[in-house]
Amino acid sequence: METTAQTTISRRDPAQVMRLSRLGSLHQCRLSFMRVLTRRMARENWSFARPKFDIDAKGVGVAVYTATGPARTYSLVAFAHDLPPEMRSDRVIATAWDATFTLFDGVPTDEDIERLSKNVPHQEAGRVNEKSLSVSRANRSVRLWAHFVDALSQGQQPDPGQVEAVGYLMRTTAVYGSGKLGAADREAIAGREELNAPFQAEMLSVFLTRAFVRDLVEHMARAKGGDQAVPLAPETARQLGIGNSTGLGMAPYIVNHPVLFNNWIMAREEAIARVRSVETASAEEAACFRRMLRRSEISAARWRSEHPVQIEKLASLHKDLEALSAWVASDDLLNDHPWDRLIRWSEAELGLEGQELAASLILEPYADLVDGLSDCMADANKDAFIIDGAMPVAQLRQLIEDSFAWTLDLDWSARENCARAWYVSEEKLEPRMGERFEEPISEYEQPLAPARDAALAHAALADWDAEEPVAGFLLRHPEHRHTVRRAQMSQVAPYGEIRSNTISDRVLPIDMLRAKLSFFGATHFDPRSDRWVRICMYAGAPYPDDLTTGNADLWVYPEADQ
Amino acid sequence: MSYALNEVEATAKRAARGAGYDWGLAEEAAKATRWLCAQGLDGAAVLAGLLEAGFAAGLANHVPRSLQGDWQADAPLCPLATGAALSDCAGRLQGAPQTMGPVAWPAMILPFAALAARRLGVCVSVEGEGFQAVTNGSALQIEGALPDAPASLTVRTEGTLSASVPPATRAEPDEAAWAVLNRFAHKTYAPATEESRRLGAGAGLSDND
Repeated sequence: METTAQTTISRRDPAQVMRLSRLGSLHQCRLSFMRVLTRRMARENWSFARPKFDIDAKGVGVAVYTATGPARTYSLVAFAHDLPPEMRSDRVIATAWDATFTLFDGVPTDEDIERLSKNVPHQEAGRVNEKSLSVSRANRSVRLWAHFVDALSQGQQPDPGQVEAVGYLMRTTAVYGSGKLGAADREAIAGREELNAPFQAEMLSVFLTRAFVRDLVEHMARAKGGDQAVPLAPETARQLGIGNSTGLGMAPYIVNHPVLFNNWIMAREEAIARVRSVETASAEEAACFRRMLRRSEISAARWRSEHPVQIEKLASLHKDLEALSAWVASDDLLNDHPWDRLIRWSEAELGLEGQELAASLILEPYADLVDGLSDCMADANKDAFIIDGAMPVAQLRQLIEDSFAWTLDLDWSARENCARAWYVSEEKLEPRMGERFEEPISEYEQPLAPARDAALAHAALADWDAEEPVAGFLLRHPEHRHTVRRAQMSQVAPYGEIRSNTISDRVLPIDMLRAKLSFFGATHFDPRSDRWVRICMYAGAPYPDDLTTGNADLWVYPEADQ
Repeated sequence: MSYALNEVEATAKRAARGAGYDWGLAEEAAKATRWLCAQGLDGAAVLAGLLEAGFAAGLANHVPRSLQGDWQADAPLCPLATGAALSDCAGRLQGAPQTMGPVAWPAMILPFAALAARRLGVCVSVEGEGFQAVTNGSALQIEGALPDAPASLTVRTEGTLSASVPPATRAEPDEAAWAVLNRFAHKTYAPATEESRRLGAGAGLSDND
């Protein structure tokens, strides 16, 4: 990664950052992919339109939403369905949804829409082509949807309490990109400036989906109430996000893409190091931080979860916020490396939730130091895959020790250390995690335990001469090839490896999900078990028509009067 | 049917694993198959042919006995394991050509010659009876016809590419070959049970509210 800013304080040690408990406490920040997108669209003055809204009184039909930037137009093609309640499920094994979508590259013709209408509603059972950049689906929040339609159709606005309790009218249950179901590969679009940062097509798809959902609920209210119906109040619409249910399928992603995941973490760590290196802050910078802290408190107060783990984490976060506010009140935040002092204090006094919230918050006053780092978050280093077979065995051993010293003495035959196994189910190819000693899954195990595999490779290397090139070892031990590759990748990706056991009896896959989703910019993580989580996206954001440079960035922090 | 190259890569990886290759070589097979498809060749058909040969179960018989001198084995060399060794030993090509063989499904060596070319920053040629292929890592030119049968090969740093065609962004594999890959890939999927359906993805609280 290129660094232009002066940093006197170095990035945090991967051994500290990459523990799963900390990754499972990450919060969104200036580098989150949703904010990167909305800032760009506002800066470049993108225009938006709804050339088609052909939906009947039962809520069945198709709509098209376009987003036009300086170089290209992208279109969300949305199919609305009348789904029997018993078919509604967020699980991957579902076969029908309330709405299905594709982000189309350009503006679809009627023939395109006709072709898509025969495929997109079937999701995994359909096919798209390279004109589709993503394929997704969403289900209604049953209670909130019915309440909205009822209220608006009778000329009333929905109850703010119910809006706050749920936060969204629809939640996506999968957003597929990069070649899935026949869509365009990431590589085919990564060269476009507006799509170079990670997941920009997917984030655009969800941004437009939110506009569609608002329009659809108003449409249904009109269909029900006729002249009595009223549009949704803009301030209520603004508060609504798009929910998302994310299951285990996403957890392997950050293990399977070590260089990409490194680039996300390293960009944030570099941003934190830059801001900690600021010697003196201006009054406006300090005031900006205080405002965002205050708004974070409002956001945290609205964050609900029924899951015991998250309830405990939220209690810790509320306590941390109190302590942070008190510390901030007693400090002018102006002199003597204020942000570094704050971070060092937080490491001694706060829990992981609070520490990571503080680390994200100190970035807010420093767009100039931080925002450019979003250009470093894609993975353009395809050659990191190539193994250097000339590397001496001793150096390889050292690389493994650098990332996995903690794992080498672990008893990997002990049940608690390898209790779980990750596998892919025959059923819709759904990734799952099972009990190694209770289910017949070992022979199907996916390579998602880099720590265990590193320990095995390290043991096998013990008998080899230190100067021997790795190529000779690999010829005799192809079973360690994937581990050797990862170890060599760590030279360019120091934050690429999770420093926790991903198959222990205590592993929480929701920590892996949160790490990834926090970089999307998600908030209000609500685990529904140890393996799937609900989140909210774009809550508080402007709708396409209202997007300006003034509201494109800080929308993620609710304002007091909302 | 037209497939995204990521679909080719994902299917090839599962297929190679399902055929018994270790994960690291399955990753190589996936990238290699994708690379062949990007060159306009049917990488899926090459991989399908190779996997049906069933080398993975006794892979030690299909890798070079030694990395010194000519690379040989008692049976045809597996192009995935041998190709991986070629990529691993790329630096040696600067000193002398590497002879090897016979190598099964010689086309599958080409992506690994490309990895060597990328590491070295020069063109690498693969020559056998009746054909010569040259790659700079991203593009490929072939004179003559690539054999399906095992062939003795010489790999060296040499050659230049004339005007290269842009790589393909989609693949249209032979349907029978694609079916073979999916058959092998299927071996990596655990049969669904009620318990795994219930617990494996973590049902937890209701997902219909």
